[in-house]
Amino acid sequence: MSLPLRALPAIALILCTCMPQGRRPSASVPQNREPPPAPAASPFAEGEARARTGVEIIESPHGPPVLLRHATVMTAAGRRYDQGFVLMSNGVIAGVGDGEGPDPTAAGGIVVEARGKFVTPGIIDPHSHIGVYPVPDTSAHDDGNELTDPVSAGLRAEHSFWPQDPAIERAVAGGVTTVAVLPGSGNLVGGRGIVMHLLPRRGARAMRFPGAPDLLKMACGENPKRVYGALKRAPTTRMGNVRALREAFLKARRYARDWDEWTAKQRQPPPKERTASGSKEKDSDSKPPDRDLALETLALVLRGEILVEWHCYQADDMLAALQVADEFGFQVRAFHHALEAYKIRDVLTRESVAIATWDDWWGFKMEAYDGIPENAALMTEAGGRAALHSDSAVAIQILNQAAGKAMSAGLAAGVKLTEDDALRWITANPAWVLGIDGQVGTLETGKRADVVVWSDDPFGTYAVAEQVYIDGHLVFDRAHPAAPFSDFELGLRAMPPLGGGPPPLQAPSPDGGAR
Amino acid sequence: MKSASSSEARVRATHPKSAHPIRPIAAAVVAIGLLTGGPAIAEDSPPIAITHARVYVPGNRPPLEDATVVVANGRILSVGPAAKAPASARTIDARGKVVTPGFIDANTDVGVVDVELEPEANDTDVRGGPLTPALRMVDGYNPRSTVVDIARSGGVTSVIVAPRSNLLGGQGAFVDLAGDSVSDAVVRPSLGQYARVDDDTVQTDAGTRSGLWLMLREALDDARFYGAHRGQYDTNASRPLRLSRQGLEALQPVLRGEQPLVITAHRAGDIEAAMRLADDFKLKLVVEGASEAWLVADELAKRKIPVVIDPLENLPARFDRLHARSANATLLADAGVAVVISTFSADEVRLLWQHAGNAVRLGMDHDAAIRAVTEAPADAFGLKGYGRIEPGAVANVVVWSGDPFQTSTHVEHVLVRGRERILETRQTLLLRRYRTVPPVRDGTR
Repeated sequence: MSLPLRALPAIALILCTCMPQGRRPSASVPQNREPPPAPAASPFAEGEARARTGVEIIESPHGPPVLLRHATVMTAAGRRYDQGFVLMSNGVIAGVGDGEGPDPTAAGGIVVEARGKFVTPGIIDPHSHIGVYPVPDTSAHDDGNELTDPVSAGLRAEHSFWPQDPAIERAVAGGVTTVAVLPGSGNLVGGRGIVMHLLPRRGARAMRFPGAPDLLKMACGENPKRVYGALKRAPTTRMGNVRALREAFLKARRYARDWDEWTAKQRQPPPKERTASGSKEKDSDSKPPDRDLALETLALVLRGEILVEWHCYQADDMLAALQVADEFGFQVRAFHHALEAYKIRDVLTRESVAIATWDDWWGFKMEAYDGIPENAALMTEAGGRAALHSDSAVAIQILNQAAGKAMSAGLAAGVKLTEDDALRWITANPAWVLGIDGQVGTLETGKRADVVVWSDDPFGTYAVAEQVYIDGHLVFDRAHPAAPFSDFELGLRAMPPLGGGPPPLQAPSPDGGAR
Repeated sequence: MKSASSSEARVRATHPKSAHPIRPIAAAVVAIGLLTGGPAIAEDSPPIAITHARVYVPGNRPPLEDATVVVANGRILSVGPAAKAPASARTIDARGKVVTPGFIDANTDVGVVDVELEPEANDTDVRGGPLTPALRMVDGYNPRSTVVDIARSGGVTSVIVAPRSNLLGGQGAFVDLAGDSVSDAVVRPSLGQYARVDDDTVQTDAGTRSGLWLMLREALDDARFYGAHRGQYDTNASRPLRLSRQGLEALQPVLRGEQPLVITAHRAGDIEAAMRLADDFKLKLVVEGASEAWLVADELAKRKIPVVIDPLENLPARFDRLHARSANATLLADAGVAVVISTFSADEVRLLWQHAGNAVRLGMDHDAAIRAVTEAPADAFGLKGYGRIEPGAVANVVVWSGDPFQTSTHVEHVLVRGRERILETRQTLLLRRYRTVPPVRDGTR
């Protein structure tokens, strides 16, 4: 697969077909879901495509091929090569395996000696608010929660995203290459989330991961009822939460039906006698229904074209959420936070609902009181799909440690886990949660060259990301500190060298030679 | 430490164990404790020998290998390759394992926060104005909080419970994570006066930084005046003083240099202002938060001011810390500053090892990071007998399966005041109940 660096709308539409079709897929959890048959043309397709078209055109030609060799290569696809190589070419992985790997120098390529280093896929954080709750925290930057309507499905996180957030570069320095940026959880439906590729760009749209589906951020439990309870507006209770949601989906169902009927009518040849009897009725028939941004988004959820990412902590809240999904016939892609997923891991696994959770956060709010460090491990043991997320501009920098801790907790509890399972918590599984598992999340030929070189075992506390590649571009190189990504940090006293640490890698440079 | 020990005596007067007859060996150990100036802990704990371990010992010395630590009656009796255990001692074979002093988290909400976001379960949001120096965190401490067990399961045996709100927030308490009553748990009910000059208190208390410093100076000046004119105050002949009598009294140990003024400040300029205040009033200072402390590292080192930081705070999270950097801990330590590492948390206290381990990841010397969660907090707050494994020290000891900072390491044994503590928590009980689903309610609590 060789895609241009930034998505063109047409490609986005094609790739958008690799999404779940409504509810009730097969009972087993497919590890590599095949793209289902393309859905009938959506009446919303044209509007969706326009809403993805970018004005910031990125020309980012690929550099020469890069071969990382003599490293421990952890693929997150079931294989580990103790003396292995990864070859990156034209933005994609051109080869992975044991031994030296093909010498790229004849083709003008670069060899990076990574002896003693570890190579993994780029980390994918399926739940972040970087860019929409950027640092520094000021009221001017408070762009993550539009707390004026509990069902705010018409919002898009893209329109709050500040690409100059200094947290972005720190996430990359932690080995993160892709994040889902979601609206906050103050609303039952917070708006659309976006999948971002962490290449420095001037605008949000140019950072969108090519072909990634849109996400819908939803929230159950404490937050919406607390926010609107304080405003003395509905919802103020958990039952109020569910009522508001059901009413919203009832409207969305009617809206989708109106559009489907209108679309079907447009495809039929006009009946001759009606045309003859008078043009007035025909005119009213040809007028499309009024567009409604919120209902359109929910209608796309009902069609399975937007992935539902649902903030829920408690087991009972997740079960109630699944009842709503069942009633309206949509699939929940993942519960986020999901600290009590371990209590209902049989149900979640049967329903093919993934979780995006923390390694061991607990207790900071009532619905987090029963969090335990074995959550991800138990979900994995049950055959379900677990991902680790950060929800924090600090935690996003050490998601590799989160995987190490969650693995350690699981092993201690007697869960049979492999390193590959644990690596998948921060790579392949979040890729699936975001609908981009066909493109990233493992080190396999043909996938995008999102690759991290670690100084040490990435599950350990002391590992630092030495090099981070996105689409084959070296975007972070610890040995060669560069000017900050963010304009905001220009003019501040420079970051001092880190001190200690491993000897620098010989890194490729843009002109093709080793530095 | 006159006033501290007298209030400690008041708390300890209710300690039921203090009425127990003390056995001879315990008396001897208590004597050691008194000689070394440590707290008079007279736990009736049986002798335990931890053998064949790598043992972290005080100072810049490398850890001892294949060493034995013997504890009894709440104290460490001996440590070293040749340390002999009494015949009656229970043995913990720690071959291949690592023994450290129990970790000390120097700034926490343990025992005052069960659930941070629930006002009913959070005793940190103090009302009553920007100046509440008489407030004592010990009076809100709950030794049965769920957080206590969970923090201890992460190898933390003692914490400072610090005031969180207000410009002058009151007095922190030092507690061991053990005991069923406050008097059991509390070691020092008042060990420092806490001030906070950051973007939060600027907003809530004064509107400007200079306004905050003015209020602090006036409070200290009032307290100094009061200290010199108590008689006039009692006869209503004093000039007007803003603080209550309790507040004025609470600041006397600070003015005498017996208790540190512990200032949370992040901006380098705020830390410099704190040093000016300390100069003018001849105060002992501890700086906390301190995201930009690396910019004034040499000055902090020269004045021997301890700095309490979280190495994971590397974001320009507020305008008062735009120079927050990952290398803060390393640069401070390299400059010779006494670095203390804290989680500044309740639910994350059990992860103190990870916060310290990340300082190592970012360049800090490993053994210095061990000291940053053991000796350094003890020394910064004058907690004699804490944070070190040496004869006479309080037997707060942790046995780790390996390097305490590694993700794969487990806490295997925790001794608080010489007594092994069960590592069961509400979380391990939840795990047991849900080890299979649907859950098995097997009679666990």
